[in-house]
Amino acid sequence: MFQRVIQSGWLTLVLCAIYCLVMAPFASGFATFENAGNVLVAMLPLLIVASGQTIVLIAAGIDLSVTSVIALTSIAGAAMITTDGGPLAGTALGTPVAVAIMLLVGSGVGLANGFCVAWLKMPPFIVTLTSMMLFSGLAVWWTQSKSIYHLPSSFLFLGKNMWAATMVTGLVVIGIHWLLTRTLIGVRLRAVGHNAQTARVSGVNVRGTVLIAYVLCGVSAALASILITSQLETGSPVQWQNNLLDVVGATVIGGTSLYGGRGSVCWTASGVLLLALIDNSLNLLNLSHFTIMMSKGAVILLAALLDTLRFRTNGASVI
Amino acid sequence: MSWIDQHHCLIASNAASTSEQQAARCNGAFFLYLPLCLSLMAFFLGCGESAPSTNTGGAKKVTIGIAFETLQTEYWAAGFDAIKSELNQRGFTFQEAIADGDPNRQLQQVKNFITRKVDGIILVPKDAKSCIPAIRAANAAKIPIVLFNRPAGESDAKSVAVQCDNYKISKETVEYMVEQAAKVGTKHKAMIVLGDLGDINAVGRRDGFEAAVAGKEALIEVVARVPSEWNQEKAQAGVVNGLQAHPEISMIFTSSDFLLPSIVSALKSAGKYYKHDEKGHVILGGFDGDATAYQMLKEGYLDATGVQDVYFEASSSVQAIVDMIAGKDVEPLIRDPGFVLHRDNCESMAARTWGASVSKPSKK
Repeated sequence: MFQRVIQSGWLTLVLCAIYCLVMAPFASGFATFENAGNVLVAMLPLLIVASGQTIVLIAAGIDLSVTSVIALTSIAGAAMITTDGGPLAGTALGTPVAVAIMLLVGSGVGLANGFCVAWLKMPPFIVTLTSMMLFSGLAVWWTQSKSIYHLPSSFLFLGKNMWAATMVTGLVVIGIHWLLTRTLIGVRLRAVGHNAQTARVSGVNVRGTVLIAYVLCGVSAALASILITSQLETGSPVQWQNNLLDVVGATVIGGTSLYGGRGSVCWTASGVLLLALIDNSLNLLNLSHFTIMMSKGAVILLAALLDTLRFRTNGASVI
Repeated sequence: MSWIDQHHCLIASNAASTSEQQAARCNGAFFLYLPLCLSLMAFFLGCGESAPSTNTGGAKKVTIGIAFETLQTEYWAAGFDAIKSELNQRGFTFQEAIADGDPNRQLQQVKNFITRKVDGIILVPKDAKSCIPAIRAANAAKIPIVLFNRPAGESDAKSVAVQCDNYKISKETVEYMVEQAAKVGTKHKAMIVLGDLGDINAVGRRDGFEAAVAGKEALIEVVARVPSEWNQEKAQAGVVNGLQAHPEISMIFTSSDFLLPSIVSALKSAGKYYKHDEKGHVILGGFDGDATAYQMLKEGYLDATGVQDVYFEASSSVQAIVDMIAGKDVEPLIRDPGFVLHRDNCESMAARTWGASVSKPSKK
């Protein structure tokens, strides 16, 4: 019974429901449609980034560079179209080209990470940690730490329109879910995540599969950056700098395994929802920032513990 | 799918464990799962009405949302406490939120305040521009919003700001330092530690410094302008490098007192940390008037600091909210006159110096 409960992909969603029931009487303003909108808007960028992270985790990797991709793509796109001297400012193609550049930069960083992990056999943790430092530094150096403002209304449309943002996020999530469950790439990602050696012997192109995982993660971070930059009307070299733990945490809370081979973008959605609900409700309870940080940290730690329990009950050894 | 792909698929699938098969079954329920996830949220969150903030007696109390970008310096912590104290004195209640340097999180926090139907919002933004969507959201909800210490950039969003005159106070502070330099009689080489130049306060302080030393090239030569981006580690590394490149530096102005420990550490490493009446003293000035600065001033290591009157700013912010709720016209920018705290007025101005009330013994 215990094993069935902890292995269930529905566990986090059930926890979300219980959490809502418990919090609704205590947190004034929690149980309102307005607040549901706030929670939804708050979770959209995190859901996109965490969905990309899910792909990498399933392939037994990790991408710590997602926040630096968000920062770098944020300033790359904003620098092109700002009316304060952007080369594409005022042109009809400005916004589409800026969006394309952001996606290209995101996929480029993913490509570099994937190459180092798959071809050079470097540990994903070190590769993506150093690329986080490299690209965060590049973003700050490029802008001399200055934010970029005055972006055109065509670019800001997504950030100002909750339904459009929800639709884009939904399409990204459905796309990644389709990729993971309905295509050969998804099967290969799981196989590589379970045991790369077995997958290689079975004829799976392990290098190519790992590369695809990191590229998709980079692209999803770039997509989130488009949403965040348009919401804040600002391109910032430190955009989302402090949210890395939320990205990995939401994915793991959902049930995607840090050990690879197991995961689902649906589970990630419920992990993101739980984190957003915790953030929102504790804020409404007027708890201090430090209490909220400690609570989220404790939940993420519990999720990692649960992941280890799942791994052990599958008959594997953690050490 | 070719036969070899099917072969891969079959073997790779066999490599997967039971949990993976469970995962695949669960994935099959995607089109049930995601809508359920969203409808669950809508159902549970939509099942009640928002409660207006009332006290137990039934009369509606004024509730103010306080959203700070960070509490990581003494100034912000003192400002936060001063605002809460002012609200308590007036019998108001408050909601608090700290964004940990993330403007996106701050936007969500302001929206949470709006959801809770607060009567006013006091905001310390990350910078002048990224706060504009939050101000717009408050404007749309017809909730008055006051920006504490950091005004917003130009836009269609309406807010009131309470801010000290960074330019004037830093100019006066540096002019006092220049007077001290003139008393020594020799030419001085100077360093300024800059803040984050995306912050209008940092720009005002830099401009005040430059204005004070302009035209005094015979006495002061500025040889180092160290960027800190409001980061202590960067400030320390920059000051160490500056002192190595120009060991003859004898005057340093920092754009914020919270960087003083970094500067003191660098000066100690260079063997240049002396009191004002000791040979080799580096004329040292700052801005903010925090507890470290006040203590260093009393001990003779610091020559002057420009003090932001945090109590004035807190009471003015709350008063502005009260006036806006009452429908009165409020000036868009309320100036904190501030003052220069130096050795000669250290005791007499202690009561108006927020750092004096939270003063702590220095670590030598």
